[in-house]
Amino acid sequence: MEAYLALLRECQDIPTAAQIAARAGISTRLIFERFVDLQSLSLATADYAFAMAKSQAIVHDAEGERPARIRSHVETRAETCEGWLPLWRVLVANQARLPQLRTRLGIFRQAVMQRIELMYAPELGTLPALDRRDLLIALEALIDFESWARMREGHGLSREDACQVWIRMIDRLLPPTPQEARP
Amino acid sequence: MPTAARIAERAGYSVRSIFERFPDLSKLRVAAADYQLAQAAALAPPRHVDGDRPTRIRSHVETRAGTCERGVALWRVLIFSADQDPELKSRLATARQRTIERIEVMYRPELSTLPERERRNLLIALEAITDIESWARMRELYGLSFDESCAVWMRAIDRLLPPTPAT
Repeated sequence: MEAYLALLRECQDIPTAAQIAARAGISTRLIFERFVDLQSLSLATADYAFAMAKSQAIVHDAEGERPARIRSHVETRAETCEGWLPLWRVLVANQARLPQLRTRLGIFRQAVMQRIELMYAPELGTLPALDRRDLLIALEALIDFESWARMREGHGLSREDACQVWIRMIDRLLPPTPQEARP
Repeated sequence: MPTAARIAERAGYSVRSIFERFPDLSKLRVAAADYQLAQAAALAPPRHVDGDRPTRIRSHVETRAGTCERGVALWRVLIFSADQDPELKSRLATARQRTIERIEVMYRPELSTLPERERRNLLIALEAITDIESWARMRELYGLSFDESCAVWMRAIDRLLPPTPAT
């Protein structure tokens, strides 16, 4: 799976079994002893990558004041985007070819949503259900992988400048922090 | 990305006739991108540019939504292939530039109240909110209707924009 991920980062396309085997220093036969087919390996690799990304995205300052929570969330999210954008693009591009990838993408997005819900629980708690859902959707769009890529690649922003965009915009989107949640 | 055989079968042509017109599939992709960009421009002219804030937001969102409904599949191919194909990368940049220009037109009154850096940051955020994949998620993943999805965007844009100047 490490070989698979390395090839994805380099080639931006699903590698062949032969390529994976060569990179991993094993035989193609060995791959197919462990995985029924390339599709199974692809899905297993997506799951592995997700677990890795999740373990790296440690929650900080979830109980902190609003500015600290926003900064913490943004910096963690930025780290994920910097590290996993190439893989993300491959997953999105191939979801039609491998329908189970679509399910995985849904799970990954759900994890992003859950992090948003955790970090902004005080503010989200003030909203009716429909407004809350809409705000979650908007926040997720704002901090999407391609949003990060546009800032870094398209607009040439530094990592800190890109984080600042997200910090300011999240602060604008969130409703006021309720009194009882303020330190 | 479809193969030449699948494209030919769908179009009712032979594979040979595809390659009589396009040297390779990459050129066909670029041509398809150009076609879609032209179509988007023709079908999505700016409307209500001088309207009040709610009208401008609604007009922008509904126009953008229509473009997104038509463009998701090709957009995903562009995003995926752009790194390996400079011509596709250029088309992607053109599409993005047009999106930002439309935002600048529709929200000129509000954007004009901002210092340069804040203006840039807001344009970036508005582009992200109204990205094609953002639309696709609302429709495919969250199962929102066209109108519900538009409403999400309208509320978010209204929250992000600074107050409309009195003049």
